[in-house]
Order: sequence, then C-alpha cells, then structure tokens
Amino acid sequence: MSNKQEFIDAVNSGKVLTRKCAKCGNLHLATVYFCQQCGHKEFENKLLDGTGAVATYTIITVPPAGFEKYTPYAWVVMKIDNYDLRISGFLGGIASPSQLPIGSKVKIIGYDDRGIILEKQ
Amino acid sequence: MEKVCVLGAGSTKYGKLDDSITDITIQASVAAIESAGIDPKEIDAGYISNVFGVADKQVHLGPVIMSNLGISEKPSLSIESACGSGSVSFREAFANVAAGFYDAVLVTGVEKVTHTGTEWTTTYFSYCSDFFYEGGAGASFPGLFASMARAYLTEFKATEEDFAMVAVKNHANGFLNPKAHLRKKITIDDVMKSAVVASPLKLYDCCPFSDGASSVIICNEKFAKAHSKNYVEVIGSGRGGSPATLQGREHMTTIPSTKLAAQAAYKMAGITPKDVDFAEVHDCFTIAEIVDTEDLGFFEKGQGVQAIREGRTSLNSEISINPSGGLKSKGHPIGATGVGQVVEAFEQLTGKAGDRAVKDAHIGLTHNFGATGASCAVHLFKSV
Repeated sequence: MSNKQEFIDAVNSGKVLTRKCAKCGNLHLATVYFCQQCGHKEFENKLLDGTGAVATYTIITVPPAGFEKYTPYAWVVMKIDNYDLRISGFLGGIASPSQLPIGSKVKIIGYDDRGIILEKQ
Repeated sequence: MEKVCVLGAGSTKYGKLDDSITDITIQASVAAIESAGIDPKEIDAGYISNVFGVADKQVHLGPVIMSNLGISEKPSLSIESACGSGSVSFREAFANVAAGFYDAVLVTGVEKVTHTGTEWTTTYFSYCSDFFYEGGAGASFPGLFASMARAYLTEFKATEEDFAMVAVKNHANGFLNPKAHLRKKITIDDVMKSAVVASPLKLYDCCPFSDGASSVIICNEKFAKAHSKNYVEVIGSGRGGSPATLQGREHMTTIPSTKLAAQAAYKMAGITPKDVDFAEVHDCFTIAEIVDTEDLGFFEKGQGVQAIREGRTSLNSEISINPSGGLKSKGHPIGATGVGQVVEAFEQLTGKAGDRAVKDAHIGLTHNFGATGASCAVHLFKSV
C-alpha cells in the first residue's frame, strides 16, 4: 500500500495531507506509517491548507540534472500556517535573496517533475 | 567488551586520481597493512565503505579487495551510508571487534567519481537526500546546507565572511597535508568572490568532489600489544539519527544525530568535550563546521562563529579543528572520508602528522555524517 499518490493528489489541490495519531494526536506528513512520538499505527487523515511562511531557503545556481532550464530558482522549507509542521518544495523565478526574505508568505500550488511546487502568496 | 585499538593506517592522496576504484582501494589497504606490520592472513574480515562504485563499474568491492590481498577466504561486506559511510563502517567493525567476534579487521573506504563531471555528481549525490522532498524538488547538497546557512545567518549574529573564515583556516591546514586535494592557501576575499553555487554558499564554501581511499586495521588490545607499541585506543563510539529531511527538523541550525552520537561517545569514554585536543569534523560546507563544533559541545549554540573569528579552532589553538584540512581542503571522497578521519587521528596520536601535528595531543575526536546529518557516527581516540 502506498499513500504517496493520495498525498500528491492533495498537493495538486493546494492542500497538505497529514496524519494525526489516533493515540497521542501528534501530526505527521502523510508519508509516515508509525507515530514518531508514541509508535502507534492508527491515524486519522487531516487536510491542512497549503499556506505558510518561508522557514528557510536557498537559491540554486548550480542545479541537478533536469533543473537547468529553471535556474536560478529557490528551494524552500515552508512552515505550515497554524501547525508545527514544515514542508519543502520548488519555488521558481527567484534570483536574489531580496525577493524572498525569511517569513515571506508562500503556498503550495501543485506537483510535477519539479516536485512539490510553491509560489509566493 | 574488548578494548579496540587502531594498529595501522594508510591513505591514497585525495583528489582527481587516474587509477581505478579497485586499484586505489588496494593501495590504501596495503598501506594500512604495512603500517600495522601484520600478515594479511591475520585479518579476520574486511569492511569496505563506498557509495558510487557503479560510477567506476565496480560494486561488491569486498571480495575483489580480499582476493587481491591473498585472503579470498575471509568474509567482507560493503557499507553505504552516503557521506557517512566510512564512519558507519568503522563503527560496525569496532562493534564486532569489541564483541569478540574478530581479533583484527580491515576497514577501507573509497570513492572514485571525479571522472563523471559536476552534473553527474551533483545529481547522483542528491539521491542521498529524501528524494521526494529534496533532490526531486531541485535541492542539491550545497542547496540543503545553504538552507541551514540562511537559517543560521537569520538566527544568530553571523555573516558570510564568518563562514569564509572556516574555508581559510582549513585550507591553511590542508596546505600542510601532502595528501590533501586542494593544497593551497586562500583568503576571505577569494571565498567571497568565488561563484555562488547555492545562495548564500559560494564555490569556496563547498568541499570538492574527490577520489581517494583510506584504510585502517583495528584489533583487540591483546592483538595490538603483540604487534606494536605505537597504536591508538578507541575509547568512545557513538551513533545517532536525524529526520531524513530538513523539513522534519524543528531547528535548521543544529543536527540532532551529531548530538546523539557525541553524547554516546563521550559517555562511553567517560570524558567531556573539554578533554578533546583535536577534532576531525564533517565540514562538507563551511556552515557545517560551525554547526558541528556547537553540536559536539565545543561551543554554545550560536557561538561557533565567534570561535572561528577569534582563531580558537585554528591549528594548535584552543582546540584544533580539522588539522588535516578537513573535507574542505583535504577533500571528500565520500565513501572514504570517515575512515580518512581515523587515519588522521591515528597519525596525530602516533607522532606521524608532520607539519600539521597538534602539539601534546592525547585525545582526538572524529565526526562524520551522511547527507544533512540523517546518519552520524562520532569516535574518540586516545594515545597509549
């Protein structure tokens, strides 16, 4: 059983599929199978809005294969609004740190061959 | 538990090497065997660490190496743990000698990738991340550490020039190391003017892609005493893990696995960070050394930059950090690096470090991790 596709489907509608531990309530990204906090294996799905703020980021100028045509671009770790959870992804069209200060509001817009795609709100 | 000792050590030069992965693995292994002064038949098993053997058309290196050493009947295995492969392999060998399964074992690490070019290496190294979230979304390894650097610059009073000072220091040390890949002195200006790879990290903030092999012979104390008076004791061994992704970590300016591995190693040795005379730490990028020196307990969180500014980590200062030149200058053949650090500890503690010797060194630490510190091992060594 893989729940990756379900996770990607949620990302494509701008959401983050998380799993809430049925025992301790700890929230995880949906790609976790046992609770990191208590080891329990039953979860309930919880859909979060894919909006948040830049926790940290980089601007890539020497890319891995497949990303040449997008360079320069940002790779961002986003803190999800209202939750103690972070998710990372690709954010195009960024050439200078002044364009993306830490704390900038960003959101998830989809998933493709660049992974999870973010854009500025 | 048996006391474990390092009896001999050897390395190839690190850099762009012409010989095959098999040849350089053998060269380092033979050097370690000769350094230990043993007959290969006395070796009970071989531990080979390597990540991208596929790049030079040779995986399953263990039996190939053992056969070339005339001990094809002895067991061997290959261990992959990204850039931490060498120390993880060393740890497994340590555990088996400590448990009494083996009297003496060969631990050799190797990497041969420079012939593949920068795009291949950047791409394949990114497979060491959690690819769905990181490599697959365009994050290179410089990019992941650059994200830690950006967080550090935001959280603490630090500048890009502070990071550059790590590179300057490690190049000064590596200049004294005949085996180093980038054996040249550099200035802060050189670092600041080098091309941006992943903002805020520039080319000279990054270690090079290197070829190289390093090897050690480790054994129990009885075996060591029977062969030499100039060996080194392994007094501590610790391991730890971190979330595989940066997003899985609450703080981007610390590496949880380093803290866990260090705590375990200090506890086993019964010492504190203050007792350490020198440390070979995982400085794949300049920011990493600053974070490492804090996570290993040498400095408070946020104070690592102050320490580098004040020269407290230079050779023969308060604590010599990366006397070999570190990954930054000595080079980073990823499967060999963790074993190479042990070679440096052995040479420092047996009076064989030449111009880069740490004066009156009795206790050394090695710290090596995989990826952004998802896996980590720390070891402590003492002169006899």
